[in-house]
Amino acid sequence: MGIIKPDIKFKRELGRLSGSQLNQCMQCGNCSAVCSLAPAERPFPGKEMVWSGWGLKEKLIGNVDIWLCHQCGDCSSYCPRDVKPADVISAIRHQTYLHYARPRFLGKLVSSPAWLPVAIAIPVVVIMAILSLAGTFKIPEGPVDYSAFFPHGLLNSTFSAITLFFYLLASFGIVRFWKDMKRLTPPGEAGMKKFPIARVLGEILSHSNFSGCGSQQLRKIAHMSLFFGFGLLILVTLYAIWATITHNYPLPFTNPFKIAGNVASLMIYSGLGIMVFQRLMNRSVFGKSSYSDWLLLAAIGLLTLSGTLVELARFGNWSVAYHLYFFHLVAVWFVIMYLPFTKMGHIFYRTTALLYARSIGRK
Amino acid sequence: MVLIERLNYLGGNVSRFNNYFPKLCPPACGLEINYSRIRSNPRISYHTGASVESICGSDGDFRVKISVEPRLINNNCTSCGLCAEVCPEERPQKLGRKAGEKAAYINNGLAFPMKYCIDPLVCKREACGKCLEVCDYDAIQLNASPAEVELQVGKIIVATGWILYDAARIENYRYQEEPDVVTNLEFERMLAACTREKTKLTRPSDGKTPRRIAFVQCAGSRDVNHLPYCSAVCCSTSLKHALTLESEYPDIHAEIFYIDMRLSGRNEKLLKQAEGKERIALTKGKVGRIVQGEGEANLVLEVEDISKGFRREDAFDMVVLAMGLTPNHVAAGLKVNKYGFYLPEQRAGIIPAASCKRPMDVSSAVKDATACALKAMQR
Amino acid sequence: MMSAEKKHMALAICTGCDIGNCIDADKLTDAVREAFDGISCISHKSLCSEAGLEELRKFTREKGVDRLGVAACSPRVKTAEFSMDGIYVDRINLREQLAWVMEPGEEDTQMCAEDQTRMVLAKLDTIKENTPYLPEQVYSDVLVVGGGIAGVSAALEGAAAGYRVHLVEKSDRLGGYAGRIYKTPYNEIDLSARTSEVMSHPGVEVHLETSIESISGEPGNFFVAIRNSDSATLKVGSVVTATGWKPYDPDKLSALGYASPRVKTLEEFEQSVQVEQPPDRVLFVLCAGSRDENHLSYCSSYCCGAALKQALYIREKNPGAEVYIVYRDIRTAGFQEEFYKLVQADDAIFMTKGVIKSVSDLGNEVEVVVGESLLDEQITLVADLVVLATGMVPNTTSDLKLQYRLGEGLPELEYEFSDSHFICFPYETRRTGVYAAGTVRAPMDMEMSQEDGAGAMMKAIQCIECVKRGEAVHPRAGDMSYPELYMERCTDCKRCTEECPFGSYDETDKGTPLPNPARCRRCGICVGSCPERIISFSDFSINSVSAMIKAVHVPDEFKEKPRVLVFVCENDAYPALDAAGVHRLRYSPFVRIIPVRCLGSVNKVWISDALSHGYDGILQIGCKPGDDYQCHFIHGSELTEQRGENLQETLETMMLEPERIQTRFVEITDHHEIQEIINDYVEELELIGPNPFKDM
Repeated sequence: MGIIKPDIKFKRELGRLSGSQLNQCMQCGNCSAVCSLAPAERPFPGKEMVWSGWGLKEKLIGNVDIWLCHQCGDCSSYCPRDVKPADVISAIRHQTYLHYARPRFLGKLVSSPAWLPVAIAIPVVVIMAILSLAGTFKIPEGPVDYSAFFPHGLLNSTFSAITLFFYLLASFGIVRFWKDMKRLTPPGEAGMKKFPIARVLGEILSHSNFSGCGSQQLRKIAHMSLFFGFGLLILVTLYAIWATITHNYPLPFTNPFKIAGNVASLMIYSGLGIMVFQRLMNRSVFGKSSYSDWLLLAAIGLLTLSGTLVELARFGNWSVAYHLYFFHLVAVWFVIMYLPFTKMGHIFYRTTALLYARSIGRK
Repeated sequence: MVLIERLNYLGGNVSRFNNYFPKLCPPACGLEINYSRIRSNPRISYHTGASVESICGSDGDFRVKISVEPRLINNNCTSCGLCAEVCPEERPQKLGRKAGEKAAYINNGLAFPMKYCIDPLVCKREACGKCLEVCDYDAIQLNASPAEVELQVGKIIVATGWILYDAARIENYRYQEEPDVVTNLEFERMLAACTREKTKLTRPSDGKTPRRIAFVQCAGSRDVNHLPYCSAVCCSTSLKHALTLESEYPDIHAEIFYIDMRLSGRNEKLLKQAEGKERIALTKGKVGRIVQGEGEANLVLEVEDISKGFRREDAFDMVVLAMGLTPNHVAAGLKVNKYGFYLPEQRAGIIPAASCKRPMDVSSAVKDATACALKAMQR
Repeated sequence: MMSAEKKHMALAICTGCDIGNCIDADKLTDAVREAFDGISCISHKSLCSEAGLEELRKFTREKGVDRLGVAACSPRVKTAEFSMDGIYVDRINLREQLAWVMEPGEEDTQMCAEDQTRMVLAKLDTIKENTPYLPEQVYSDVLVVGGGIAGVSAALEGAAAGYRVHLVEKSDRLGGYAGRIYKTPYNEIDLSARTSEVMSHPGVEVHLETSIESISGEPGNFFVAIRNSDSATLKVGSVVTATGWKPYDPDKLSALGYASPRVKTLEEFEQSVQVEQPPDRVLFVLCAGSRDENHLSYCSSYCCGAALKQALYIREKNPGAEVYIVYRDIRTAGFQEEFYKLVQADDAIFMTKGVIKSVSDLGNEVEVVVGESLLDEQITLVADLVVLATGMVPNTTSDLKLQYRLGEGLPELEYEFSDSHFICFPYETRRTGVYAAGTVRAPMDMEMSQEDGAGAMMKAIQCIECVKRGEAVHPRAGDMSYPELYMERCTDCKRCTEECPFGSYDETDKGTPLPNPARCRRCGICVGSCPERIISFSDFSINSVSAMIKAVHVPDEFKEKPRVLVFVCENDAYPALDAAGVHRLRYSPFVRIIPVRCLGSVNKVWISDALSHGYDGILQIGCKPGDDYQCHFIHGSELTEQRGENLQETLETMMLEPERIQTRFVEITDHHEIQEIINDYVEELELIGPNPFKDM
């Protein structure tokens, strides 16, 4: 490697985000030693800690190992200098979303509380604009019928289009991420294997990377609840979209998909509950929770909660039903549209990183 | 000068050491010079088994009450050893202790005072009384009770030394679960026993000769979860151990895992010597965990060799934890720093010396004690 | 042989502790009576018991005993019990070195006991009354050389203990190196307060801008010629030398780019940071010269802390600056780890392990290539200034201008530091009454230097007090005997003056030795060195040992009864022999043991005495020589080796097998080895066969 130019701004940003006194690192390698996911060759997070200490952004962003970490916190709890490697790695991941975000402002938008009003204003304005254009931007009379407020066809087409647009933007970032991984962690002599999609899928579904120490079990359960709850909701939503085209919508409450949707909500609630509880009660293991951590938890929570309320409102013919519905749509925007730029982006980045890692034979 | 020692023999920890760094020479050599001075100097007296009960008075006029635990063998003892010969009780097995050591015992062939004593926890007293029958010198006093002694002194030097940090508290090193994970102090005594009894080093679990021994540096030291400070002596100690193994055991490979190799001054020589040795490996990297493995070499170390950027899960037969040092607290009421070590400045007339003030090696302890002796002469 | 009118010699035998079971005490008494006409003997089954001692005291009183042989246990035990006022007591070690190691009831064991007893009694018969060496005047002032932190501390602590101190400093101010530094942030030494205290202390006379012209004399009576504006002579009892250190010559560090103006040493930077703002990027190279076989192979100990401290200066003076520290190991031992963490709290201080590959001045900045870094295998760092943490080199002690035959300074050990036995007995040097303190004796930081000053002063005071009592200092503290020379027979061969490890002997122009008894450590190496056999102690002389040698009855017939004379060093080998006894390790009863002050004190004449007396072999057992020597008298064992070569030649001219004389070095814990050494040697000797001089 050539000239090292320490980037103190980046170093300080990592320190701020992670709440770690990362300059206290004495480069002992204990974090890599206790990590149950670290590969034998060039293990993490020791080297990442050394690079972080010098602010070597170019080595950290696009570093595949950042994504192999599943944040069990062993490195932090055993760290002799209490520099919280897990939180530093997490902060690097956050910087990764920012780095690959296109347009850049979308990354910034969701990474700081200062930008929160704008982040909220955008979906509000866009939805209002769509509704105004459609001419339905008023509270309908009679029993609650959301399609009277936001026709299903219009909702599906506009929201799908916007989502696809955002994801298309994100895919450019993913491609650059792939190239960076290849440059920073080139494949060994064995070269690249074919995409080990099945293996990675298996890892993700089974949550096998979460296995490890005892404190993990609860996290694994929480993440699984959230993961499968979210997955189920997506299935239900896709079915719902299909149903709006082919069936009579809304579905009755006894419809198996409707029931599945409610079950999914319950899964998300329980997963979220565990996560919030652990973040609040178990600071020594989880370290400092950042804005983006809370934003994500809040968005998912509000999305699910507003969804449930919207459903109840329809059932109970509440007068605030349409307000709730509007709020729900904004929450959908936060979680789904902003997904590549928030912590939810890990769905893309981690999957991509795992694919790359396994294809070059990195454990 | 009145010397108060809690144990039954003078010399403290080092009297049971195998050798000193960096010369790898036996501690008894220097101790013998000092013992012989105590033997022939009427201005020095000493009490073994003694602990301070209370200190009254002030600088220049202290009254110190000490309680002296009986050795159960009095000064008539000639160290003939008959009591130990007939004694039916054995002291519990301990690393570095002679196998089958009797309740009546002596530290070693160079102990001071050169007199036997009886382990009160093991001795059956009058119920057995075999030693009483054989002792020709009226030396055995199985019913002796602690004696109170009051001393009048002008100054008090506190040189209570150090004890190891509790290895069991470093849970990920499995000290309590694994008999073959030993502290460096235990290892030192094991080596000393080998020298004394001319036996070969064996590992505690199965008595086999170990082939690969790992030395884990900073076990407790430099760790905010344990001792935040550096214990200053452990790097030199482990190098000393490795070099001792290297010269005496052609089949043993030693590997030292360290963060920073801290050798000050001429102790650097130890590193120079070790670097050239085939059977000594030095690996930069703090050991993360010790886990149970399969087979004979069943202690698997998880560690990153950070110079090579390689994470190892490597099996050893034996692990020596280079434990951190903590102050040995026996004098109550003294001012301590945030780590519990005695502060150099105490109330007038009380002078803490050597390793109860900070972790230090033998040479530093001797030099500090010499300086403290001068302070005790000042008015 | 005896002159019973003047003195009465007696023997007390203890039959306790297996001795009585092992040998026949009555036969022993008979044998002794036969050899020593009129000797009084007593025997007791437990001599050290209150009853035994009472009987012994009564016996000595009644018989008017002034020299007593106690045939019992080792002199290393029951020392106080067998010390008696007005009586010279010597011990015959029939327990550890006989009853516990030889077959009981055997004839050979009995013969050994008789021989060993006769040997000690023969020695007692030769000893002269000791008149302690008590100079008329003993000065109690202490000279401290060097006004640095160690010297100032020594002066203050010595004065506080009531001793007058002369503090001599070459320069025009006190403080030494520490006095020139900018800040001492991690130890609370207020040097300026200490220096002003010393300047105004009534017990300390400070001599600034003063050099030492000469130091002559001996402990208790050192005459120190000093010169500043005019000359004066100080009379002191002992000397603390605290002349400090100098940085390693950076010109030798061209590989680290020292020739460049953008590369400075720690010391240069310490000065420059006080007058100019440091640049934006400063890189520290630790171990610049230290821990390097081509430069200083030791660790200079202070540089890690000093560099970390300077990193803070930079950040304080230039808040926009970045500091890079390249180290091999950060050595902040003990509580200094706290300081390391304190420095790391500043995130503009970047640290990496690494090895410097090159330092190149690019004209406006410096490029430093670092290998083995954890950042990458090889990295390049760019800085505006590079600071080399150069090591610590002890200042020469020849400034002491000792008027000694063996040189003006202190003998320098490995790495040029001038202490000896630095583990167990720091401060000791090879010049009695001169104690080294601070960085002149070992690399250390300021806090350590301060302690060191106090410790060395303690030794200096102790030395004065010992001289006042006529006693030796370390390691034979309390010994009142000292070497006396029968000058009439001296041939000015200079052996004694050359071989004395402590420079006790001065020399006239002709080469005649001038003894300085207070400098003497009583090792007896001069006794061993003297070919004219004119040097003797009151209780250790050519005659006393010769008498011991001749007191042994050498059987005419060799057949399985060889006799081996064993010279055993009292320091380590003798306790090891005792320990062999404690461990009941059996060895041959054919050995006859003579303890000596040091193997170096063995005179050649004793060897020839022994050979002509019919001994079949001679074994010398002493302490380890070499770099990591344990010989308490520095080179006694080495001298034995050198003299051994000459001896072998002598043996050959006598047509004797060179293997008859052997020397072995042991450690104090080598009791198992001692058993092997003796038994193997006796076995070997049986193969060689009898001494042909036996019948002559």
